[in-house]
Amino acid sequence: MVADGSNELRLGFLTTIECPDGALIGGLLVTNHYGRPLEFQCTTPVKPNRTQEVLYGPTLIPFLLGEVIGLTLVEKMNIKPNLILIEQEQAIELQKHTAIPVAILSDIAQILDDSDSFLCEQIGKNRLRFDAGHQSGRAAIENTSKKIPGDADLGEPFERVREALNEAVKMGSSR
Amino acid sequence: MEFSAKKSDSEINSQTAVRHSGGPHFLPLSLAPHSVPVSQEDQQQFQQQIDCDAIPLMVSASVFASGMNGALSRKFNLETTSLELLERAGLMPKWKPTRPRLKTFGMTFPDGLEFIPPKAEKEHETESIQIKGPDGTVSENTDRKKSTRLKPPANALSLEDRLFYLLQPPLQSWLAGQELLMPFEPFPYQYEGIAWLFSQKSALLADEMGLGKTMQTITGVRLLLRSGQVRRILLLCPKPLIPNWQREFKFWAEELPITVVQGDSNRRKMIWEMPNTPILIANYESMTRDFEMMGEENIPRFDLVVLDEAQRIKNRDSRTAEIARSIPRKRSWALTGTPIENRHEEMSSLFEWMEVVPPRATPDLRQLQVLSKEFILRRTKDLVMSDLPPRLDRPAYLDLNPAQQIAYETAEKDGVIQLNAMGDSITIQHVFELVLRLKQITNFDPVTGESSKLDRLEADMEEIAASGGKAILFSQWTKPLDLMAERLQRFGTLVYHGGIPTKQREPILDQFKHDPDSHLLLMSYGTGAVGLNLQFAGYVFLFDRWWNPAIEDQAINRAHRIGQKTQVIVTKFICNNTIEERIDMVLEQKRELFRSILGDGDTTCESRSLTAAEIFGLFDLKQKKGDVTHKIAPQVYQKPAA
Repeated sequence: MVADGSNELRLGFLTTIECPDGALIGGLLVTNHYGRPLEFQCTTPVKPNRTQEVLYGPTLIPFLLGEVIGLTLVEKMNIKPNLILIEQEQAIELQKHTAIPVAILSDIAQILDDSDSFLCEQIGKNRLRFDAGHQSGRAAIENTSKKIPGDADLGEPFERVREALNEAVKMGSSR
Repeated sequence: MEFSAKKSDSEINSQTAVRHSGGPHFLPLSLAPHSVPVSQEDQQQFQQQIDCDAIPLMVSASVFASGMNGALSRKFNLETTSLELLERAGLMPKWKPTRPRLKTFGMTFPDGLEFIPPKAEKEHETESIQIKGPDGTVSENTDRKKSTRLKPPANALSLEDRLFYLLQPPLQSWLAGQELLMPFEPFPYQYEGIAWLFSQKSALLADEMGLGKTMQTITGVRLLLRSGQVRRILLLCPKPLIPNWQREFKFWAEELPITVVQGDSNRRKMIWEMPNTPILIANYESMTRDFEMMGEENIPRFDLVVLDEAQRIKNRDSRTAEIARSIPRKRSWALTGTPIENRHEEMSSLFEWMEVVPPRATPDLRQLQVLSKEFILRRTKDLVMSDLPPRLDRPAYLDLNPAQQIAYETAEKDGVIQLNAMGDSITIQHVFELVLRLKQITNFDPVTGESSKLDRLEADMEEIAASGGKAILFSQWTKPLDLMAERLQRFGTLVYHGGIPTKQREPILDQFKHDPDSHLLLMSYGTGAVGLNLQFAGYVFLFDRWWNPAIEDQAINRAHRIGQKTQVIVTKFICNNTIEERIDMVLEQKRELFRSILGDGDTTCESRSLTAAEIFGLFDLKQKKGDVTHKIAPQVYQKPAA
């Protein structure tokens, strides 16, 4: 059982790509635990101005990925995911703004720094890291690991999201 | 060093002060000016350590006469004054971090149809035991490099339509033992075929026989249903193939409920109108009859109509083709291994049904090639099945038995004389009749029942049965099949042709497959040539030749198809110096001559049947008018043979 009482596990795959002009465009795909798509949302391109670049400094990208793009997409979703997976570490900023657990997906072979603030869990061919302080994170990851088969590749849906974002950019630029 | 203990603090301070104010810091303490006197003993010890005499560094360290010393002794005199700014400091406009509002674009995916999962496998059934899920090697195959992704079709223009396809999971992970269990891992080209069908509104899947058109279609249908793209499907096929489709659906998509349109007209009407029937299977004849009765405006709507053996509508003026075109539908898929049997115009009829050309359009060869690229997917065994065991064609040239020889010569001589006597009034039917009579004699002598072909077959079967092999035999006629069955009873011979009631046909195939004592299945081209899977048979005999090599190929491919483990030996019986030899020669020449619309090297489609002129040319038909003898030729309006 997942947090909202429904039996179905819904995974969100959030990623961002950079447009040729340097703007960022983000997409969130929610699938069932078989990987079948349920809902997709993507943003229009976001480009920070010079003032934002200077004042945000190194916090600019986490702000854009997590709060501006990530949070907007999560709020817009009609089908809320039980767990949001991200592949860009800086997007973990999103966790500060949503109650839905957010986990960083990494390859199983990737060597990660030990850190007390993150917990690691191996699911399928991947490893998930999530905020140790997040209460529902553990339950969500455990639920995910039960339903995802051992040979599942959780990195694959990100390819779909990137391809969809590239298509959106291509169609946007051709208009 | 003892000096520090002997001196007072003030002395030490003053010495240190001297050292820091005057002598350079690198000067050895003992040699520095005003240094503390060092005892003789220490000096000696020191000298031993450095093993040389100390070099006095007498650097002058007097204070530079800058006048600063005097100045330092005076007190600073500090005074402050206030100075007014010229104007107030300006402030930049206020900046507060805000979260910019972003526009979003979103889409939700339709709910797929959910079906009751099939019951647990019944282990006692032999079929079930053979079914196994993807093994370890399969999961290795599902890595991202080999994944087959759905591509948006060329006519999907909106972002939403295109994203629908791009966001679907790769077929391998969609089908690999998760939501949709597949009994066997499809081949890569089959994945491509499924992906292509899934995204096509109009499609002609024209894979060569035996490459799995049925499986690709069923899986495509399954994915469309499960992703909510279609809800009501009609599959039309020739009547003898309905049990085959039922069997294949059960095997590849057990959870899909299928309904066969059969029974009396009232029952069929009820089935046509029944709601919640996702997949209807009907034969062409009953469909044509029923829809004709209903009237065009009452024909039920379908999300997808699939025509199996779509060459059935090759004649666009036929009633079947007209009714098939009038079925309201969103998607149109056609399946055939032989998109062109005789003329390239047949393609136009298929394209018209697929609604990719306007009604009555007659695209030329170049236009057909363009359409083919977009709407036809055709793969040949040579292209995709490099691992399929080879097919060895072995023509068996036989001499007629003496009784057959006499009967044949008499019949041909008399027949030709009769035809010549008819002169220009002869039609292709007259020539056909003679050809058929002669072909029958090459099979069996009409009086004695002697047959050189049967003698040879018997000898071959001895060997095949002894090695535990299985063979299938095709003939144009059903009567000789029954005759052969009697004589070849000891090989567990079974007969399968149009004269066998439909209900009895499946058990016959089942017995042939599973009975180790059953080595030979005798079939007619008409009933057995299409749709059946007999890949456990390693031998095929063509007792007599069909007019069209495409049909012969279809027959051979019952055995030479996916799942075949051994090479398939095809024996084609041809009697020397007979009509068979002449027909074979013409067909072989045509195979070489005709170029296919579907590309060079595709020999299957090049095989077209004999034209009227070619059939007339089988005999030396002449008519004598006065002193002039001229050749009898067919009338121009005469249609080619079937």
